[in-house]
Amino acid sequence: MLQIQQLEKTYKNAAEPSLQGLSLQFSDKSIAGLLGPNGAGKTTTISILCGLVKADAGKAFLLGMDVEKEREAIKRRIGVVPQSIALYPTLTAMENLQYIGMLYGLGSSLLKERINQYLQLFGLEKSAHKAIRYYSGGMKRRANIIASLLHEPELLILDEPTAGVDVQSRNMILQFLTEYNKLGHGIIYTSHLLEEAQQLCDEIAIIDHGRLVVQGKPVELMQEQQAQSLEQVFLQLTGSSLRD
Amino acid sequence: MRKILATFINESRLFAKDLAGMALLFLMPLALTVLMALIQDAPFREYQDIRFEILWVDEDGGKMARQLGAELEAIPQFVLIRTLNDQLLTADKAQELVHKGSYKLAVIVPQGVSAEVANSANQVANELGAKLGAPGKLPQRESRKVALEIYFDPVIKQAMKLSLLNALEKQVTRIQAEIILARLENRLDEQAADSSGPGLRLQEKLQAVQLREISSGQNKTTQLTTNSVQHNVPAWALFGLFFIIIPIAGNFIREREDGSLMRIKMIPGSSFTILLGKLGFYIVLGMLQFFIMLAAGALLMPLLGLDSLQIGNAIGSLFLTVLVVAATATAYGVLIGSVFQTPNQALPFGAISIVILSAIGGIWVPVEILPAGLQQLAKLSPLHWALDAINELFLRSGFILTVWKQLIILLVFALLFFLIAGITESRRRR
Repeated sequence: MLQIQQLEKTYKNAAEPSLQGLSLQFSDKSIAGLLGPNGAGKTTTISILCGLVKADAGKAFLLGMDVEKEREAIKRRIGVVPQSIALYPTLTAMENLQYIGMLYGLGSSLLKERINQYLQLFGLEKSAHKAIRYYSGGMKRRANIIASLLHEPELLILDEPTAGVDVQSRNMILQFLTEYNKLGHGIIYTSHLLEEAQQLCDEIAIIDHGRLVVQGKPVELMQEQQAQSLEQVFLQLTGSSLRD
Repeated sequence: MRKILATFINESRLFAKDLAGMALLFLMPLALTVLMALIQDAPFREYQDIRFEILWVDEDGGKMARQLGAELEAIPQFVLIRTLNDQLLTADKAQELVHKGSYKLAVIVPQGVSAEVANSANQVANELGAKLGAPGKLPQRESRKVALEIYFDPVIKQAMKLSLLNALEKQVTRIQAEIILARLENRLDEQAADSSGPGLRLQEKLQAVQLREISSGQNKTTQLTTNSVQHNVPAWALFGLFFIIIPIAGNFIREREDGSLMRIKMIPGSSFTILLGKLGFYIVLGMLQFFIMLAAGALLMPLLGLDSLQIGNAIGSLFLTVLVVAATATAYGVLIGSVFQTPNQALPFGAISIVILSAIGGIWVPVEILPAGLQQLAKLSPLHWALDAINELFLRSGFILTVWKQLIILLVFALLFFLIAGITESRRRR
């Protein structure tokens, strides 16, 4: 599902490189967690995978395709849920989803069917005609995910999808991701919530200072590090000093 | 095409949700245009159809003085005031009123002017008559110096002062010439009194060359003189059209900040079509705004006592010109939205740059009266070329073949703006 080889990236005017030869891989159709402290290079990695940022060196492949050379083909097969609520706040959920669905080239009847299906699944059908700016944090997150699902991508990439949401919404989102994965879709997600990652992910990669620290299945990593939880593994490997 | 349409509809929805923004985008330029037309109406009329009151003191009372007064009164721009409060004006009173600024001009015709003109005419007629062998002699004496006395308010503009002096001098010269010719004609007619032929009609013969004003445009049916509405409405409507960069730049930056742009970039093959949809919407919006301003110029201005805007006959050419201007303004908005990171950077720069481009581009005052250096600088402003094209269509009966150069230059501006915006966006990816 994902192969990264010696990826390097230093932003203009940045004091330190964001990625320093990062290499990792996730197996097909898994739920994979890309974890790391602030400034580890998670968002830069995702931005390179999505073609939004160009790597200085190295290679990255998504679904077997080169992210730099086959960007358009990759876009058709993946869905990206950004950390920010990438919806028009003054438009209703229905209006936002109609627009995004049309951009994905979905026909009117199929689009209507998908919008209704996902609004119902995410518990937003009653708020479909309410402007996004009047939604709660959890509702916004759910609508943000629906917008990336309308074209039913093979691979869903989520950047902190449960940040700042209530327990019910988080539970609902995680449940959906598990179900979506069972249908044969791959999932890559980043999170600070290690308990959540431990519960959800088939495999994880912990990165820090733009390099891979460790990679594997959560249970195996805990055994290797003789830790009770993924959080313990994380602290042992990345240290307990504060990050900006 | 579906994506372009979807984006157009989406932008319309976004715009429609912001009713206050929508109202401001249309009402502020309208208010500005109306206000500027009203403010500049008086200065424009000053040179065209304002009637000038002249304090007229005739101490002479002779034929020449009466004729001069009558000739000046026949000019529509002049009103001769001979009495105030039912009292005949005196030279001292007239001088005092001009000095106080109550009136701009006073003309005193001193005693003896008519007699002096008659004497001068008799002298000329006698000399010419003698050389031509005419018998007899008209009464004459030695010439005395007399002069019309003219008082000007010191605040009067130099150009206005010269115009008034020229008008007076022309009338005086004409009347003097008429009197001389009449006397000469009488003397020569007396000489040929025994012949039964027609008179000499010297005055008619001397008017061989006359002045006739003809429209410089190809279309002789429309003869426009510029006025406050004709200058201000197109100029400020263009200024308002370029202010469309504010919502465009704001929208682009907001989309980048809230992640919508990232989502759009993640949709396959959509960036260019989405850009086209957005541009299409803002171009239509800009055109709509401009034509509303023109409609206000044609329909609203007369209700406010101003002239009605004349838009010429080349409606198709006007539509195409406004389309190109709106595309250029939109491209500039995209550039501002791409180059600047935050609304706090983009919006003040965008607004002030439009004010600067309009100032050097001839929106505030015609480029022709700017210093030579600034006239060259004006060529760097898209607003200059836009206004030039519109004036060509409205005032010089132009059409598409006469404004193609301006349109090409505007399109080059638009392409340049897009190019810089594209390079900036691509650098951001690095």
